[in-house]
Amino acid sequence: MRESASIVEIWVYLSGSPLIALFITLAAYQIGLWLYQRSAQNPLANPVAIAVILVSVAIELLQMPYRTYFEGAQFVHFLLGSATVSLAIPIYRGIQHLQSRALPLIISLVCGGLVSILSAVGIATALGADKTLVGGLYSKSVTAPIAMGIAEQIGISPTLTAVFAVVTGILGAVLARFILDALGMKSWWQRGFAIGVASHGIGASRAFSVSPEAGAYASLGMGMHGILGAIAIPWIFHLINR
Amino acid sequence: MIAGLVQILLFQGLGELISKFVFTTLPGPVIGLVLLLSWLMLRGKLDPSLALVADGFSQYLGLLFVPAAVGVVLFLPQLKEHAGALITALVVSVVLTIATSALILKLMHREPKNDA
Repeated sequence: MRESASIVEIWVYLSGSPLIALFITLAAYQIGLWLYQRSAQNPLANPVAIAVILVSVAIELLQMPYRTYFEGAQFVHFLLGSATVSLAIPIYRGIQHLQSRALPLIISLVCGGLVSILSAVGIATALGADKTLVGGLYSKSVTAPIAMGIAEQIGISPTLTAVFAVVTGILGAVLARFILDALGMKSWWQRGFAIGVASHGIGASRAFSVSPEAGAYASLGMGMHGILGAIAIPWIFHLINR
Repeated sequence: MIAGLVQILLFQGLGELISKFVFTTLPGPVIGLVLLLSWLMLRGKLDPSLALVADGFSQYLGLLFVPAAVGVVLFLPQLKEHAGALITALVVSVVLTIATSALILKLMHREPKNDA
């Protein structure tokens, strides 16, 4: 009797502290990373997707409401802002590649970015998805930390945005090779840049595993899309949702 | 490493201030990113402690959006209802985006004048 009471007390104490949420988050991500490496970095074994599924199952089993979980895990979440600022470094490294190719790269980015938004929003709306869900599609091709910042700024769900961004990254990493081969794309820099524009960091790490040149251009595409997206997407969103 | 972190927090703070008072449609961290990038380009070099922090962040970037993404549990009924529409939109959109960006680079690189 006394025993079980003290276990309850320990449980009440632990579930009130951020420790459990942080532990679950880091452990799930570690398992995700491990599986990703075991699968020879197959994009389908994406560590974020695995971690999200594991954490969702864990908090369901512990009967921990999402709000309580997030209160604990917010220490990890808080670092997103600093991580976004630090994206300046890979962009700075990539900018050396810009040089004479700046104009084609910028035009490719602008058109790719517009096609990404208009096709996703158009198709989902035509097939009857509701407004909340469609809102999450606007910045799905932008790297998740920036995409979530944009989402907060225009009043749509950062959660949906992050989930759609991760799914888009995985799809891009899996499909890019077939699309680019079908189009007869031969230069690594062109292939890499297109992958980075469409499927940000997840696509870029796939590109890096194939060719360092493709990877460098994919990071550049991701970085440029992040900056341009933050400026243009709120504006496009208000134009469409007037 | 601490020196790098201090610089990043400084630029993040500046970005948040500018986002609050000047460019209210831009997220603070993105303004911080642009400021830091401009600073690096102005100096023309990257100090090792900043590179160390940035590489650490980019290596484990995915971990940082797990807490927000787990919020998907709150949207499950809605997502299930519209799963077909969303999957179609995501797949078609990523294919079209990759194809558009790639084709423009290919055409502009070969015949810059004819395809402009």
